[in-house]
This record gives sequence, structure tokens and C-alpha cells, in this order.
Amino acid sequence: MRSITKLSLVVAALVLTGTALQAQANNASITATASVQTPINVLGAQQLSFGNVFPGVNKTVVAMDLTNAGRFDINGQASTPVTLSFTLPATLGSAGNTMPIVSYAGVHAQNSTQTGGIGFSPSAGASPSLNASGQLWVWIGAQVQPATNQAAGVYTGSIVMTVVY
Amino acid sequence: MKRTSWIVIGPMLLGVPLLAQGKPLTVTGMRGVTFGAVLPGVPRVVLRSDPANSGQFDIKGPKGNVLLSFVLPLTMTGPAGAQMPLTFGASDAGFSQTQAIGSQVGFDPKQPFTATLSNSGRGSVFVGATADPATNQRAGAYTATIILNVTVLP
Repeated sequence: MRSITKLSLVVAALVLTGTALQAQANNASITATASVQTPINVLGAQQLSFGNVFPGVNKTVVAMDLTNAGRFDINGQASTPVTLSFTLPATLGSAGNTMPIVSYAGVHAQNSTQTGGIGFSPSAGASPSLNASGQLWVWIGAQVQPATNQAAGVYTGSIVMTVVY
Repeated sequence: MKRTSWIVIGPMLLGVPLLAQGKPLTVTGMRGVTFGAVLPGVPRVVLRSDPANSGQFDIKGPKGNVLLSFVLPLTMTGPAGAQMPLTFGASDAGFSQTQAIGSQVGFDPKQPFTATLSNSGRGSVFVGATADPATNQRAGAYTATIILNVTVLP
């Protein structure tokens, strides 16, 4: 009988110990989900071309000039607004010589023919929307102002357009 | 000896169901964190107070204190194994004794947090996060798993 009592005590201790150790922790999980849309791709599709420029004679390429205006082609998420910003050179350079660019103008449109195009100031940027296919076209025109003694040569400069959602 | 064995085994068998019947701790993932459409280069924030998009866990157990700790992913995984950073701010988790999203006590999900279950042994944990897609983030569906560990404190 004594041994039974001892055993009962041992059992009681085990059960109590079990109480302290059992079922004290648990966990669960959930899922985070996101659907990433199409990244923006920008292509410098056409150079801004002033052609022949004569000393002392300003030369303008308007943004509506489909042949000579600079053009960027943008692809991204359909029907989504984007922000355009530009880094615009103040001069063109040629072998240490510079030629001022005195003004810029821009047009953006949801088609490559500028139908329904909207003019904007590149220095201020713009916030158009991509079309239903996720496309947008941007044209840049400018005016150069060669000096009367402008050195002859090929002058170049880089126009950078940044597009973000 | 046989009698003794039954005396030993009896209480043990009784003890197990009694413990299980007491106040078992259960944790249930009720709702995931949903970022929806995310644009490359544009961070997307889901607040823990967002009733539609925040994550939610429900807890049932003995009334009193529990320790909450998360296992948080650093990224979400997308198409072809593409990764997108996922961050959790210092107040992106919240506990509600009443299980109401509008009455949370905020806490840092990166740190263990002691919460008190209600008198009926209930509580809910809400979680928000920020998805930070790169400008060239690959398009597609991204997922990650958030785990909540709950431990009953003595």
C-alpha cells in the first residue's frame, strides 16, 4: 500500500509537470502577396537634329517636327500615369567649342503621329499617362544660337529623360 | 503489481485529456497582407489598420499574458525566383484584446511583445508592411510567408 502511495505521488508529480510543459506555445502563418506591374522601358528612338547651322543664325527644331525633333519611346503598365523629367544641356560642344541652346519645347502623345499630342516645357517636366497598350511617345525640340564667329564643326550634347511611375 | 500499474496508468490517461480540455492555445492566420498592384520603383505601404489589406492572426487560449514573436521575411519571391524587398516598421504590428482593428496597441514586429489575452482568452494581432519594388522589378505575382509564434507566459 505504501508503494502504491509513492507511485501515486510520482504520477501526480508527472501530471503536474506535464501541465506546466504542455500546450504552451503555438503558431500560424499568413501570406503576403503583391502583383508587380510592368517596369518602364525608355528608348531614345530619334536624335534631335539641327542639321546645318550657320554662324549668327539661330536654328529651331520644333517639337512637332516628326523628322528632326528628338523622340523617346516609353513602354510600361497600361493606362498608368508617369512623371517625365529631363536633364537638358545648356550648350552643345565640339572640340572645346560650345554653342548655346536657348530654349526647349516638348510634346507627348499616346501615339507615334502626335495626334492629340500635348505640348509641355521639358524644364518643368510633365505627367502624362501611358496609353491602353502601355505606350507613350515624347518629342523634344530646341533652338540653338550660334555666335557670328562660331567655330565650324559637329556639335553634340546629351538630353536625358527620366520616367517614373 | 498489476493493480499498481493501473493506479499509475489511470491518472496519466486521465491527465492528458484534462490538460487538452483546459484552455488550449490556438493561433489562426485569418487574413494575409495584400499589396495588390505594385508599380516598379514605387513603394507600397499596407498599414496594420487597413481593414482590407493588413494581415490578421486570431489567438485563443487561457486568459493572461502571452509572448508574441514573428518570423518575418526579408523579401517576397516572384517569377523565376525574383526577389522584392519587404520591410516592417517599428509600429507595423498591433495587438487588440477586443479583436477590433480599430483598437490596437502598436508594437515592433521585429521584437518579442508581451500581450494580455482578454478574460475570455482572446486577442488578435494585425500586421502591416512595405513592399519596395526596384525600378526594374520583374513583373508578376510575389509572395512571402509571415509566421506568428505565441507562447503562454506563466
